[in-house]
Amino acid sequence: MPSLAIKPLVRRHTEIGIVLISILLVLVFTATSEGRWANAYNIGTILQVTATLGLMSLGVALVIGTGEIDISVGSTFGIAAIIYLWLAVRVDPALAALVAVAAGAAIGAFNGVLIARTGTPSLIVTLGSLMIFRGLAIALTSGFAISIPYKERGGFSYFILGGDKIYNVNTGLIWLAAALIVLTLMLRYMAWGNRLLAVGGSVESAHSRGVRVNRTKISAFIICGLLAGLGGVLEAGKLGSADGSMGRLMELQAIAACVLGGCLLAGGRISLIGAIMGAFVLSSIQSYLIVMSVQPQWFVLLLGVIVVVAALGVRSLRRWALR
Amino acid sequence: MSSNHPLIRVTNLDLYFGVFHALKSVSVDFHAGEFVGLVGDNGAGKTTLIRVLCGIYAPSNGEVHFDGKRVTNFHPKLAIDQGIETIQQAVGLCDNLSIARNFYLGREPVKRILGIPFLDFNKMRDKSTRVIRTFGLRDNVSADDEVEQLSGGERQTVKIGRAVEFKNRVLIMDEPTNHLSVREREHVNELAIQLKEQGLLVIYITHDISQVHKLADRIVIMENGEKIEDTQADAMSLEELEAVIRHGGRTVEKDHMH
Repeated sequence: MPSLAIKPLVRRHTEIGIVLISILLVLVFTATSEGRWANAYNIGTILQVTATLGLMSLGVALVIGTGEIDISVGSTFGIAAIIYLWLAVRVDPALAALVAVAAGAAIGAFNGVLIARTGTPSLIVTLGSLMIFRGLAIALTSGFAISIPYKERGGFSYFILGGDKIYNVNTGLIWLAAALIVLTLMLRYMAWGNRLLAVGGSVESAHSRGVRVNRTKISAFIICGLLAGLGGVLEAGKLGSADGSMGRLMELQAIAACVLGGCLLAGGRISLIGAIMGAFVLSSIQSYLIVMSVQPQWFVLLLGVIVVVAALGVRSLRRWALR
Repeated sequence: MSSNHPLIRVTNLDLYFGVFHALKSVSVDFHAGEFVGLVGDNGAGKTTLIRVLCGIYAPSNGEVHFDGKRVTNFHPKLAIDQGIETIQQAVGLCDNLSIARNFYLGREPVKRILGIPFLDFNKMRDKSTRVIRTFGLRDNVSADDEVEQLSGGERQTVKIGRAVEFKNRVLIMDEPTNHLSVREREHVNELAIQLKEQGLLVIYITHDISQVHKLADRIVIMENGEKIEDTQADAMSLEELEAVIRHGGRTVEKDHMH
């Protein structure tokens, strides 16, 4: 019976669904776009978007793993981009990036501490920071874009921080790969990951075994903010400019990427590679709509449909596997 | 039995959940090498009391002394580090993690590679496999299986095995024989007696009065968040014990007889 072999696989690897969806979409998009989608330039663009959205999705996946949610990451992304661009022309761009990423981590810490110490639902707290930091981003830029002229963007720092390509692939992808490796080691092979998933599985049980629940949750929010900040820096590095609306609605894409990738919103079960695959699928769809000249407004609508369908799909797949 | 110096001394303990007065000025001593049965009806405060002892709840008023030292911070981590192992009802296992990962949750063994502390999976797997085999889990259950796949009895067995494996100074058992077969119950009860004889303090919560009457050295009865009786087990017959629990205290029992 083949299902006997498949069921344990599906149980353990929640990302199987997204792998199947990705393969299917790549085939369909390639077949129906007459080369407009599947060409080196377009794939390069998709991978660049995947890098920044993927970093954000990794962080959101960790927070989801603890049973919480962070919907403020789009604003964190924007703030970090603005800080980076503003500082990069004044100090060394590497230092500017460090400050911007630290600001992202600080926003994460703000969310995490407030949620853990007061017991306020994370949806409410991060909804607040979503608005606070979006407002701040708009206020700081006062309606204009901050930018660095292209000719000033030389040097290794600009190159490695998403400003250039290696073999047609944006350097942002290196950061995504590094983050994936480090976080996978932390999540699957270190005590921190065991405790993080335990908190998401059952807060009471984890607490009763001596896990510092608050500390664990705060750490997940800090990493989440840090990665959203890094994503913002890389996007700013790619574009060379940012305005107050940068990263708007990206938080929804990141959550969608996680759900698509097999992360259980109830917590305790996440897939990091799945979240990245989810980001890849979303940027592929977005790019497909563009090359097929569909109005971009349809993307948001489609995003919503995908989230609902994916959530139902992941749920029924798991139910089937547990039967 | 034991020395005069109690291992755990609870003095005038009060605990409020909001306006609900869950524990009312409870004072009780527990000694090393003692088997204490904690009994009472549902909602009597038994579980609440042991959850203070294992650090899950912090008391609103009153004092807890462990080994002569006053406990000022309450957290399960601190209790576990002091040598208090607890078999909780309903909580203690995370469904989404494997048996091996649950076994070592909060005290994961590590192996350093390039100075980075990675989980020592071999140790986690070997030790938890040995324990679940000793405690008679089915042969086709592996330490890598998620707890979600286990039955109620198997979960309870994992919790008991873990507590016994890490036994240190105190073993608190909250309805440990729930979900277990008759044979498994006997095994668990024998173990509890053995541990007591090894010098551990065993605190045993149960609804099974006749069982605890046979097992325990001392019986503490609670009702409505208060301690209403604290007696050597052999100083009271089973019938008397049942009457106290049913009517709430000896005096009330006498009133009923009029």
